[in-house]
Amino acid sequence: MGNWRKRVSALFLMLAVFVLMVACSDEDSASKDEASGEEKGKPKITIMTKLHTAEVPDEKLLKLLEEKANVELEIEWVPDNNYADKLNTAFSTGTFAQAVTMGQDQVDQFKGAIRDGQFWEIGAYFDEFENLSKLKEEVVQNTMVDGKVYSLYQGRPLSRQGMIYRKDWADNLGLEAPKNVEEFYEMARAFTEDDPDGNGKDDTIGVTDRGDLIYGLFKTLASWHATPNNWGEKDGELLPEFMFPEYMESMNFVKDLRDNHYMNQDFPVTSKEDQQAMFKNGTAGIYVGAIVDILGLYNDAIELNPDLEYDVHTEVAGPSGEFTIWANPGYNNEILFPKSAIKTEEELKDILAFFDLMMTPEFSNLVQWGVEGEHYTVEDGFAVIDEDQDKIQREVFAYNMLGIGEPETNGRYESLHNYEPRQKAEELILINNNHLIHDPSITLDSETYVRDGERLQEIINDATYNYMLGEIDEAGFEKQVEKWKSEGGSKIIEEFNASR
Amino acid sequence: MEMNSIQVPLTKAEIKERKRSESQKKRSELRKNIAKNKMIYLMIAPGLLYLFIYKYIPMFGMIIAFQDYKPYLGIAGSEWVGLEHFKRLFTSSDFWMILKNTLVLFALQILIYFPIPIILSLMLNELRKEYYKKTIQTMIYLPHFMSWVVVVSISYVLLTLDGGIINGLLKNFGLKEINFLLDSSWFRPMYILQIIWREAGWGTIIFLAAIASVDPQLYEAAKMDGANRFRQMWHITLPAIKSVIIILLILKIGDVLELGFEHVYLLLNSTNRHVAEIFDTYVYVAGLRQGQFSYATAVGLFKGVVGLILVVFANWLAKKNGEEGIY
Repeated sequence: MGNWRKRVSALFLMLAVFVLMVACSDEDSASKDEASGEEKGKPKITIMTKLHTAEVPDEKLLKLLEEKANVELEIEWVPDNNYADKLNTAFSTGTFAQAVTMGQDQVDQFKGAIRDGQFWEIGAYFDEFENLSKLKEEVVQNTMVDGKVYSLYQGRPLSRQGMIYRKDWADNLGLEAPKNVEEFYEMARAFTEDDPDGNGKDDTIGVTDRGDLIYGLFKTLASWHATPNNWGEKDGELLPEFMFPEYMESMNFVKDLRDNHYMNQDFPVTSKEDQQAMFKNGTAGIYVGAIVDILGLYNDAIELNPDLEYDVHTEVAGPSGEFTIWANPGYNNEILFPKSAIKTEEELKDILAFFDLMMTPEFSNLVQWGVEGEHYTVEDGFAVIDEDQDKIQREVFAYNMLGIGEPETNGRYESLHNYEPRQKAEELILINNNHLIHDPSITLDSETYVRDGERLQEIINDATYNYMLGEIDEAGFEKQVEKWKSEGGSKIIEEFNASR
Repeated sequence: MEMNSIQVPLTKAEIKERKRSESQKKRSELRKNIAKNKMIYLMIAPGLLYLFIYKYIPMFGMIIAFQDYKPYLGIAGSEWVGLEHFKRLFTSSDFWMILKNTLVLFALQILIYFPIPIILSLMLNELRKEYYKKTIQTMIYLPHFMSWVVVVSISYVLLTLDGGIINGLLKNFGLKEINFLLDSSWFRPMYILQIIWREAGWGTIIFLAAIASVDPQLYEAAKMDGANRFRQMWHITLPAIKSVIIILLILKIGDVLELGFEHVYLLLNSTNRHVAEIFDTYVYVAGLRQGQFSYATAVGLFKGVVGLILVVFANWLAKKNGEEGIY
């Protein structure tokens, strides 16, 4: 009897030893790696960032970066659509990389952890780095938590929203680019009913949209109607956008479009790919979204129909006669530095030095445009991108996520495009700058918002879709707003206003 | 059996004593058994070790359901909040809706989906030509290997109002188009049909195996007695696989709140949320996306307890009716 016990315990022991051995050998190889890195005197930098393409990018630029910056880089590419989950998992298991990309909403969620000192406060080091100190004050302020800087931002134009439409269809029907929302509606109608492609068949619709209330049609259309950007002021109090009559007007506008079949019927469940396919294959004539996307859309579309012509347009005035457009805070992503991965100040400085380097013209051009002569050429001080979009997507695009700042601060080239409407988009972005609606809640705080904000927003998003689909009426929508309020919304309003 | 009638009622102490000696006897029997079959027990060891490491040690993590868990503070450092998270769940305005949706989808699985693989395997068993049988089997196994993303995408393409084939057909026949994707009343039929399409074929494997082990002599005897195909199925095949059916049913009941997060999440949209939101999808948004681990764990624990109660109950019910049960 004692015999079998001994045997079993011996077996357990063996297994335990085996497990330990495996674990140790892993450790060994890891420490070896580090050692060899140190021999060469190269700091090793780990980065976790978002991947917006289907595949992990080609390593060509990575190798080049490592060589030029004299560092060892390890980039963890995480697909954008499950980035939030990955962030939380990495955080909870203590496996953060040294530099972690987050969107603004994600930073909001980590505010508690930031306040608890889980991330390095880096504002104090800016003075030591020539380039980082150049970051725009007003944008840096938008990234602050309790008045302290924890992140480096990746700048982008304040508003790239607008419409892309079939110029050839408009010409066929004698239509101009819409100057106001009525003309926009008329264009959608005509593209649906007046046979814009002249094939004698009733096979076209006006607008194509997807299940995205922000980057799709809705928010841009709402801002044309002068709806506040997330939060707006009424009688001296900050209130969420959906409590403003303009929000209702915008919903009615979309509802009319859908009820009359001037847009795709299943838009709440349409994916971006399907939406774009409808636009590219000549089913729909208007696409509302980021206007810089026109180049990619065009390149795909002319393979199906070489005669097609696109154009971009932004200045669509609302019922008041004024053109307004929503603005982002001046950046799309921030890079944070978790203390769980960076133990010492020295280490932090090594990493900041790397990102400081990323803000030099040489490196910011490299991560934005690729290798000169291979991915782009320089003309009159502008970067002209190679026509081979697939190659750019595969080899360069993903590395954009390493850039810091914006052309004004990092000195990289602005782009110049051979495709004229794409170039026009750059000009329209500048025009947008004069008509911006800013989000007043960016720098404000609400504990309830951090905890329940996303779930509460779901109530409003559902109500918005249901209203536009005619499932609920105005009273039904108001009821959902009341639900939002009673489940924490009122508290958010209170807390935001109190933190002003 | 008659012996019972002359038995004298035992006192409590006697019952205790008897039970103790019984368990002692059992224990020494177990030891003897182990000593006799030590190699077999040795082979079980890695499996037990696996269970211990991957199933039992993580259970320890469940205590974060009673904490305000902060990953960087760890379990030792996080604050205790008692039943706070459970209170939050039970008082959430959506709790009853979620519970109802979960139970309805579960009932659909048990009542509609569960019998289908059994019926299918009975039908397959009646196919006498091996060639047909194999071909059909292969065909109905295939969908199992598609991910839910693919299954749902295929349905989307077929059912959309914007050029979907089904609505195109309806229109051609002069019928009204149906908004399958955005009409909440279509969510449940879509859900269960997709499960049937993907899983029913795969589910036949275990029943076919059970059927294969039925003694052919029974059929011969039945034929002699003049039973037709249907009678043989009814009186021989079905009773023979009854215990397998019951065990699978009990196991299925254990998964009561595991309805397949991915599948439901993919089908979920703004218009059908009031019938489609289940615990898993709720936890995903309220818990994981917002990093509220404690809350998510509390909901998970609740799910697990409900599942456990149902399994115990189902097992008891099975045993009471003279079946074997799973333990």
